[in-house]
Amino acid sequence: MPAAASEMLVGASSDFLTRFSPFNRMEPEALGFLAERATLAFHSRGSEILTPEMGQPTHFHIVQRGKVQARQLGPTSVTDYAAMTLGPGECFPIGAISAQRPSTNAYVAVEDSFVFQLPAEDFLKLMQMSPVFHVFCTQYIASLLNQSRQQLQSTFAQRAAEQQTMTTPLGQLVKKEPIFVAPDSSIRAALEKMSEMRIGCMVIADAEHKPIGILTQSDLLPRVVLPGIDLQRPICDVMTATPHVMSASDSAYDAALEMATHGVRHLLVVDSEGRLKGVVSERDLFTLQRIGLRQVRSSIEGADDLEALQRASRDIRQLALNLIAQGIGAEQLTQFISALNDALTCRIIDLARARHELYGIDYAWLAFGSEGRHEQTLSSDQDNGIIYVCPEGADQDALKNRLLACAKEVNENLAACGFPLCKGNIMASNPELCLTLEEWKGRFGDWIREPDPQALLNATIFFDYRVLCGNERLGDQLRAWLNRTAKAYSNFLRLMASNALQVAPPLGRIRDFVVEEDGTIDLKKSGARLFVDVARILALRADVASSSTVQRLRQAGTRMGMPAEEIAALIDGFHFIQLLRLRSQHLDTEHDAPGDNRINPDALNELDRRILKEAFRQARKLQLRLKLDYQL
Amino acid sequence: MNWLTRLLSNRTDTATLDVALRDAIANWEALAAPDLGTAHFETRYVVINTEASGLDLDKDRLLAVAAIAIDREHLSPHDSYYAPLEPDAATALTNLLTFAGKGPVVVFNASFNRSLLERALDEHLRLTPDWTWLDLHWILPALYDEHIDRPARLGDWMKAFGIETFQRHHALGDAWAIAQLMLAAQARARTLGLNTPRSLADLEHSRRQLRRHG
Repeated sequence: MPAAASEMLVGASSDFLTRFSPFNRMEPEALGFLAERATLAFHSRGSEILTPEMGQPTHFHIVQRGKVQARQLGPTSVTDYAAMTLGPGECFPIGAISAQRPSTNAYVAVEDSFVFQLPAEDFLKLMQMSPVFHVFCTQYIASLLNQSRQQLQSTFAQRAAEQQTMTTPLGQLVKKEPIFVAPDSSIRAALEKMSEMRIGCMVIADAEHKPIGILTQSDLLPRVVLPGIDLQRPICDVMTATPHVMSASDSAYDAALEMATHGVRHLLVVDSEGRLKGVVSERDLFTLQRIGLRQVRSSIEGADDLEALQRASRDIRQLALNLIAQGIGAEQLTQFISALNDALTCRIIDLARARHELYGIDYAWLAFGSEGRHEQTLSSDQDNGIIYVCPEGADQDALKNRLLACAKEVNENLAACGFPLCKGNIMASNPELCLTLEEWKGRFGDWIREPDPQALLNATIFFDYRVLCGNERLGDQLRAWLNRTAKAYSNFLRLMASNALQVAPPLGRIRDFVVEEDGTIDLKKSGARLFVDVARILALRADVASSSTVQRLRQAGTRMGMPAEEIAALIDGFHFIQLLRLRSQHLDTEHDAPGDNRINPDALNELDRRILKEAFRQARKLQLRLKLDYQL
Repeated sequence: MNWLTRLLSNRTDTATLDVALRDAIANWEALAAPDLGTAHFETRYVVINTEASGLDLDKDRLLAVAAIAIDREHLSPHDSYYAPLEPDAATALTNLLTFAGKGPVVVFNASFNRSLLERALDEHLRLTPDWTWLDLHWILPALYDEHIDRPARLGDWMKAFGIETFQRHHALGDAWAIAQLMLAAQARARTLGLNTPRSLADLEHSRRQLRRHG
């Protein structure tokens, strides 16, 4: 009696399903239908159950035991955080299968999992058969729409946050101690103070520090200079009495409105007792307003002199700091810093090019090191070079000199915009780094064939090049040649690998972390670099063109058959360390100390400490892999 | 009553079997042997489990048989079989043969299940199937040594995987759990490059050898 057996097993499945919503509310026939049609499959930890690449889903899945993670893929990078874990009784993909389109999520078993599956046509039948299930699916789809709407909102919120500085309370804007004089001070004394302090206006306050008047630069001509007033007279004779005053808790926006309404350029900020806290100028508010991603970008593109570029550079930093403060992720943040710095550099090159005759020269501006990897932090030196083509019959020396002269101006202007000159002279104005394609190949080839320690060190900087502006094809040609050549010299990769393994992640056996004498960990040397170095070797081996560490790990790892989950964990680890670096630089910058990469793990909160530990474990895992691959 | 007397007293002559049963057995015998070199996702494994009056091979009798197919790495409730031996053992066992075909057959603890079943088949149908038997008792610890690294009881393995069943110590109830373990075994075997029934058989063989010599 085979029927008896399947009845028992169907019963077992439906007993299981009725422990979960919506199945527990489902009509008995519908539940029976589902339990009868559903088959059980097993998915090993790390295996993909359903991905967008698999096309229209053929089955509807219900987790029986284990955990399945849904990761949203695609260009919307915010969604990297929207990973959702599904446990027993939860099902997928509802939206994709109802709409009969490929899933937008990748579903990966994060534990060994047993999962029921129902053929797609039975899923559709079930929807028709069971009003309960129909409502469940419809609501689910609606809730997805809702979520995506919320996601949009949060994107807008983020955009709004870029502008949010306009809601900053004025009390936070005025940082300097207020400068003022008493009403009986001489005009001369007040003017001397203005000149000495380089301020555009002088506040006149009484003995209790309550402002009673103001004198601005624009008042000087009509009130002091033209009437030929005696400078020994007290300042109260020429000041504007009852100045516009705002409370420290008013917002920058309120101040802007007040200025616009009354046509004034300065507002006095007072505390709750009416004492002077400082002065806000129209200029201060404009600076605030200008700091938005798009504004920064357009101000870079529109900049036509060094001063404008310097302003833009300051804005980039300010915006980066704001974004860190708002808790943006490391990946977006570094991408964003990198994008704006690229735009700035390109603009600097454009401006320099206009003053140097480079017409007809085929060249590309290369970024090396962290800039080459899109991983600049706020305190990176400039590392750059040039690759160019010398046409046959051309005077190479003359051509190169023209490039070098232009490069020198670019290097200096970059320095003026806050990218310190490279101490090791890794700059395009160095004749050694302004080379033709053939010369670069010769240089790289020497390092690969004779990998002495210096050559290996060079490789870690120069092999991370990317074309920042100019002819990208030159960079591509060099990359193709480099990957081919490095792969052919396995001894070179082996030595690179042994070099990369010289620093171990600072994980202790007894304590969580191994710290240096001053109790800190160098997040660059014993953190980020561990990932960067291994990623570079994997990329050379797997012929990955990208210079970014994340892309290298992602692409090379996939090519080498590393489970996607493992790759994602590595990348998360790397991002977290980068975020900590940026954060600590942010704090240091605020305290006016030079940004460095050291953190004291004891100063981290418990959660961050645990994540950091996990990040180091990921680095160890990556190193272990390299060790095994090269038997080191 | 020892096994010999029981054997002698209960033994049926196949000639006395019903025509339908004889046809079914003939059909089963005519089936081609399975290709043990196919991949798991192309293979139909049959999990077989028995229920006996006790655990003593000498004294106890087979009470019921159950089977669940794992076809192309999927377990479907429809592809299953269960029958008590009473009242009609010959029919129960013939239908089992029809359900299982030529295997490969998966059991948990062959030394008990296989002996009991082979004895019953011989007794009632006068035949011994030439199935390839795969014993999860040996295979599981070879594949999932992070859970249990030596042969263990079914209950222990169910606990390790969090597997539940509707009725323990029931032929089909336990078969349902064993079948789930087989799903897990296939998936792990695949990641280790053991892609076929033959490679599972080899794995089991080398485990038994190791155990014997170790």
